[in-house]
Amino acid sequence: MKSWKMIFVVFVLVLSQILAACGAPATPTEVAPPEAPEAPAEPTKAPEPTTPPEPVDITMWLQATVTEAGPPPDDWIAYDIIREELGINLEYVIIPPAGDGEAKLNAAAAANDLPDFFQVTSTNRGGERDNLVNYYELGLVAPVDDMFAMMPERTKNHYNNQNLLDLLTFDGAVYGLPAPPSIPKREGFVIRQDWLDALDLEAPTTPEELLAVAKAFTEQDPDGNGKNDTYGIGAFIEGPGVGRRFNFVFGAYGVLDVWNFVDASPDKFELNVRDPQYYEAMQVMVALNEAGVVDPDWPTLSKDEFRARWKQGRFGIMWEDFAALSNKSNYEPFDTNFPDGSWTPLPALIGPGGEAYYGLDDAQFNVFAVSQRAVDEGKMEAIARLLEWIATDGYYLLGFGEEGVNFNLDEKGFINIDGIDEAQAYSAPERQPFTQMRNQLVFYNTLAEISARYPNYTTEGGREMTPIDTYLSFFQSQNWVPAFAKLLIQPPANAADFERFYNEGIIQFVLGQKELTPESWAEFLAGLDGQGAKEYEAAAQQVLSDAGLLK
Amino acid sequence: MTTKVLALPSKVPAAEKLSIKKLLRTMWRQRWLYFLMTPTLIYFVVFKYGPLWNAQIAFKDFKPLLGVWGSPWVGFEHFGTFINSFYFTELMANTIIFSVAKLVLGLPLAVIVAIALHETWLLRFRTLVQTAIYLPHFLSWVIMFGVMLVILSPGNGLLNAIIERFGGEPIAFLTSPKYFRWVVILSDIWKETGWGTILYLAALLAISPDLYEAAAVDGATPLQRIWYISLPGILPVIVLVTLLRMGHILEAGFNQIFVLYSIPVYSVGDIIDTWVYRQGVLNFQFSLATAVGFFKGVIGLVLITISNRVAKRLAQQSIY
Repeated sequence: MKSWKMIFVVFVLVLSQILAACGAPATPTEVAPPEAPEAPAEPTKAPEPTTPPEPVDITMWLQATVTEAGPPPDDWIAYDIIREELGINLEYVIIPPAGDGEAKLNAAAAANDLPDFFQVTSTNRGGERDNLVNYYELGLVAPVDDMFAMMPERTKNHYNNQNLLDLLTFDGAVYGLPAPPSIPKREGFVIRQDWLDALDLEAPTTPEELLAVAKAFTEQDPDGNGKNDTYGIGAFIEGPGVGRRFNFVFGAYGVLDVWNFVDASPDKFELNVRDPQYYEAMQVMVALNEAGVVDPDWPTLSKDEFRARWKQGRFGIMWEDFAALSNKSNYEPFDTNFPDGSWTPLPALIGPGGEAYYGLDDAQFNVFAVSQRAVDEGKMEAIARLLEWIATDGYYLLGFGEEGVNFNLDEKGFINIDGIDEAQAYSAPERQPFTQMRNQLVFYNTLAEISARYPNYTTEGGREMTPIDTYLSFFQSQNWVPAFAKLLIQPPANAADFERFYNEGIIQFVLGQKELTPESWAEFLAGLDGQGAKEYEAAAQQVLSDAGLLK
Repeated sequence: MTTKVLALPSKVPAAEKLSIKKLLRTMWRQRWLYFLMTPTLIYFVVFKYGPLWNAQIAFKDFKPLLGVWGSPWVGFEHFGTFINSFYFTELMANTIIFSVAKLVLGLPLAVIVAIALHETWLLRFRTLVQTAIYLPHFLSWVIMFGVMLVILSPGNGLLNAIIERFGGEPIAFLTSPKYFRWVVILSDIWKETGWGTILYLAALLAISPDLYEAAAVDGATPLQRIWYISLPGILPVIVLVTLLRMGHILEAGFNQIFVLYSIPVYSVGDIIDTWVYRQGVLNFQFSLATAVGFFKGVIGLVLITISNRVAKRLAQQSIY
């Protein structure tokens, strides 16, 4: 019996621990607020009305600027400043990008537990607005019009694009804060110049020439290592269908992405697949894959795997972001592997119909929102205070670090790292956790920012790299299809089925799982209609006409 | 005669009373056992029965602001949406194929490995093998995908290098509908079989060594010992595992498929859970997602009940 009693005592102790642990979250939040104001209040013992207000708790969910770098540490100086100067206890959470982030936000939304301030995240490029519409329709996000007056400097620099504000305006009120668009038209078509030179080839200008060069790259050992280990083209699926990494093929036929913005008119707005030229572009895709000149892993690769492969010299033709291609930290591994390797930007290929479009300019921008719950709890003013601080006094701290320690400012306001310890420089990998908010809330693309973010440099092999001049300027000067209106199109109700039918159908043709013939293509189009393609097109046309975007 | 008839009904309540009293008394006598059980019971109430309340959104048009209770009822609409969805048959087929194949191929293999480990007399070898086969269980599917890409890639994968060495054409295992199912099933077996042996090993160790000794004295061969002692000894565990797996027949391993599949193999790889992720979670149709979960639960319950009966009748084994 004694032993039973012992067991009982131990059990009660364990259970009380478990219960205490379960109840734990409630305790600190209840206890903390009285403690915090007490500290400043005590020395003066001033009458109660003059004591500073209790710090406001703000939860903020943002994506990372550098996903692999992690969040800032708990003792980050910015947290102290925000607490002491702004009276805000900031809880900053980094959420994953794309689908994972969207799933997390949706789960929080379903529990009516969205954070106070958050970045709207989406699986699909440009899908952020769709998700904001969802949250708006459910009454989970608050109008932010009143905030603009509370943060004049930020509004002037960040929220000055009326087109973007209009996109986030529902029923007369603005429901999202559109971050300044990232640098537009920043991706492009590039080729390994050293491979072309080694095989004595000219850069391709048409789809046929592309196939010929890609074939040579695959079969004629362009890197001269005596092994059959190269492919012509590298890609991965990014976006609907085969994704935009094959823009150089589809652009030559004027059928970039899903919607036909090239031939859009008030009476006609269709899916690109209806354009007979899409079929021709598909024939090129089939030919490329049949010839085995595309890295065969492309349908399963992730972005990181794709990027690892061009750095390993696996293929010589691709569509890539200028910074991912040429910024120092990204280019270094490639330079180490191939000191003589170099990527040359190419203009759009010219199709048989003479068309040569480069890509779709769909004006990407991040969307931030304030939850209705935060506004109900009276936090809007504090959020505006925080955002204004980030755009003013906190700008350099959150964007680059501490002046004199992590960066220097010259008299013109440009950033440099002369005399700064290498590991402490704002651009060092060690410093990345401290500037995680920079792409989300800090930068707005001033000249000083752009030159600080994409500086010219010399590689170890002595190659002069000029990311902006060599790549970005070239890409931006090409013929892009304006497709800003794309963001207004809402996905159909059966999105998962429709998207699957569309993506799967196209990929199956490209990989040769289904033979591409006029009949099988017609069958595919009929299948799409069965999934409600016509209704989807009509709805899209309606939305764009109503917005006056079809001219 | 009459007294008997009269006595019968009066006896029944008495017996009931007695049994309740008896039950309470037994419970009191075993109160410490019940007490030890409370954390588990609390776990089930909080994490399993509590959330059942929220399952009602399967029959509602769930709006977070209105809450679970306040959202309007829509009846079986979401079930209809799922069952009438374009890919329903294919999703069901893929799910069941993966589930059944993993069970049918994975379970016997785990039993065989467990018996082999049990039979071996080289203790050090046994420990080594056990560690090696448990290891993949602790790798996440994301890591496994990396490993599989290195092995299966048609470009420079190990397996394809071997195929090419023997004059074959490289095979795109991960993107070919012809091979993808096998990739899923075999990779699951590779990852989980080792871990699955633990239960059977434990059951084998529980068999009295006397039986083996007696059999050896009687001249039984090792195979006869396995057939007549080991297998019948672990049969209850095999039945238990199979029955429990029947309850999860419509769960074919979301993590695995989600990491491994890609558009070219949707037709043979898309399962109920990945569809729910895309249509329910990403498109903010939580009611639909819940309805599908409910549907899976009901099917699982029905299957577990039927198979329990079948097992009871055929193998004289059951879980309740």
